[in-house]
Amino acid sequence: MRTPTGSILECVPPAVKLAALFSISVLLFLTGSLTLLGSAAGTVLVLCLLFCRFAVLQWLKAWPLLLTIAAVALWTAYNDGYQEALVLLLRLGTLSLVATVVTVTTSIGEFIETVTRAAIPLERLGIANARDIGLAIGLVMRFVPDVRQRYLAVVDAHRARGLPLRPTTLIAPMVIGTLKSADDIADAIDARGIRTNSHPQKRAENA
Amino acid sequence: MHSKSLVLIALFTAIIVVLGLIPPIMVAFIPVPIHAQSLGVLMAGIVLGARGGALSALLLIVLVAIGLPVLSGGRGGLAVFLSPTAGYLVGYLPTAWATGWLSERVALKAGGGWKTFAGLLAAAVVGVIVTHVFGVAWLITYVGLSPRDALVGDLIFVPGDLIKAGIAAYVGQFVLQNFGSRLRMQ
Amino acid sequence: MQVVFNDVSVTYAGRVVLQPFSLRLTERRIGIIGLNGSGKSTFSKMINGLVLPDTGTVTTNGFDARQQAHEVRARVGYVFQHPANQIVLPLIKDDMALGLKRLRLTRQEEERAVSDVAARLGISHLLERRAHELSGGEVQLAALASVLVGAPEIVIMDEPTNQLDLRNRNMVSRTIRSLPEDIIVITHDLELLSGFERVLLFHEGRIVEDGPAEVVIARYQELVG
Repeated sequence: MRTPTGSILECVPPAVKLAALFSISVLLFLTGSLTLLGSAAGTVLVLCLLFCRFAVLQWLKAWPLLLTIAAVALWTAYNDGYQEALVLLLRLGTLSLVATVVTVTTSIGEFIETVTRAAIPLERLGIANARDIGLAIGLVMRFVPDVRQRYLAVVDAHRARGLPLRPTTLIAPMVIGTLKSADDIADAIDARGIRTNSHPQKRAENA
Repeated sequence: MHSKSLVLIALFTAIIVVLGLIPPIMVAFIPVPIHAQSLGVLMAGIVLGARGGALSALLLIVLVAIGLPVLSGGRGGLAVFLSPTAGYLVGYLPTAWATGWLSERVALKAGGGWKTFAGLLAAAVVGVIVTHVFGVAWLITYVGLSPRDALVGDLIFVPGDLIKAGIAAYVGQFVLQNFGSRLRMQ
Repeated sequence: MQVVFNDVSVTYAGRVVLQPFSLRLTERRIGIIGLNGSGKSTFSKMINGLVLPDTGTVTTNGFDARQQAHEVRARVGYVFQHPANQIVLPLIKDDMALGLKRLRLTRQEEERAVSDVAARLGISHLLERRAHELSGGEVQLAALASVLVGAPEIVIMDEPTNQLDLRNRNMVSRTIRSLPEDIIVITHDLELLSGFERVLLFHEGRIVEDGPAEVVIARYQELVG
């Protein structure tokens, strides 16, 4: 999220925040004591309310995620008793809140930089080009609204012709229509010299 | 990698994201609505092959990690990776790879028609199994469910996912036959 | 501009797309017309090396499109037929800045280059907008802006007024006329070419007429009947 939270955590490098998140998750799994887990959860919640209230809001907004935690906790309570369920609830609840804090206090740009830096070893092995990662992420964000628009157009066309909305006939035109623009987009990327490592491709078209 | 391959991978990730945004599909004989996101992952494997499909799934996972709400229900962010169902998400990567690897072999050998469909369906079913293996393994190791509890909880979603495998094979075959020559990864 | 085609031909999947030809383009405003499938796009894509010829060589402002693709692409901008597909990042200003990456500018220099070009085209208000929110005319100008920001010497535009309403068409037409860069326009909008120094007419993979706009357009009318 690019939302400014006004939290001091925005100044902490993403790599440090990720390491902290990882350490906290390990610590919470080392103990099964309800007292320790309960006080950890309480501390995290209080700290968040004091220093990063926006994260708590976002955490509550992510109810589909909290719902899966609740469902698994109920399932555990039914099978293994309340004690176990409570341990699970405290652990996963705390971790999801801490993770949300990291997410809301780190901009997408910072994340892309971190991912790109992490991918440099892969580049040395010849597996991937690290700089392509930012472009790929940008491409997805750019074209999700277009693909969605295309899907809605296919739905409209079905309605106009009185066809039943079947997943097969809805999805195939969306996929083909979307992939058809790949040639144009790739040409544009090459023509603008955005990637330094691409090779011209011999190809002619019908126009 | 050619720009064309990079673009195809990104566009397929966009398709997977959109499939998660559209309202869940209700199938008459199953009580739970099924969302189409994992359908997109299976199609990525079938249409783009092992490497392209896996990179498409990886790109989706990266988008989740950097906090974009790209999963069904608008989920996204690091919290997803620490949730009980994270195994299913991470499993998308090997799922797309396995489905893609098998599809590449099917598409080469079978000459179209029912044989190809059966082969792609098998590839997609293997993909579904891979997703569920990762999902259940995570439920056991991370959440601490007993193997029996994890499996029983998981089984509710198997019928819906098998239907998705069928749709993915059908649509995948259609796309490959009408458009396949323009999708080669380079 | 200085574009030289030397004994060039293009075949695709067993079909001859362009018959062998040699040609030199030196004018500042060049138009390309012809029916669909006559080889116009293939011809213009060769100028910046997006399509490589099967025989012969193409040199653009002194650089070989095959051997020196990077030099050629830095000098030739291309606005595609579907400009929405060439905006590859969500925010217009980010997309414009993307074409500057190879120049390795500082953040401030990048921002200045972007805002200068936007002001030149009168689209400063679009910089913070997202590509999918723009109208057809705005998309066309944004795509042109993202090309101009890289300071090309030649700009190729493929059907720039296609699908625009009259107001947007006139605005794009005025913009094209006012550009100091050398321009090659592929179009079905024959009015757009009035006053162009040189127009090429393509027919079935051949250049069948080559001269001032009025003469070539008259020949085109005659050919189509």
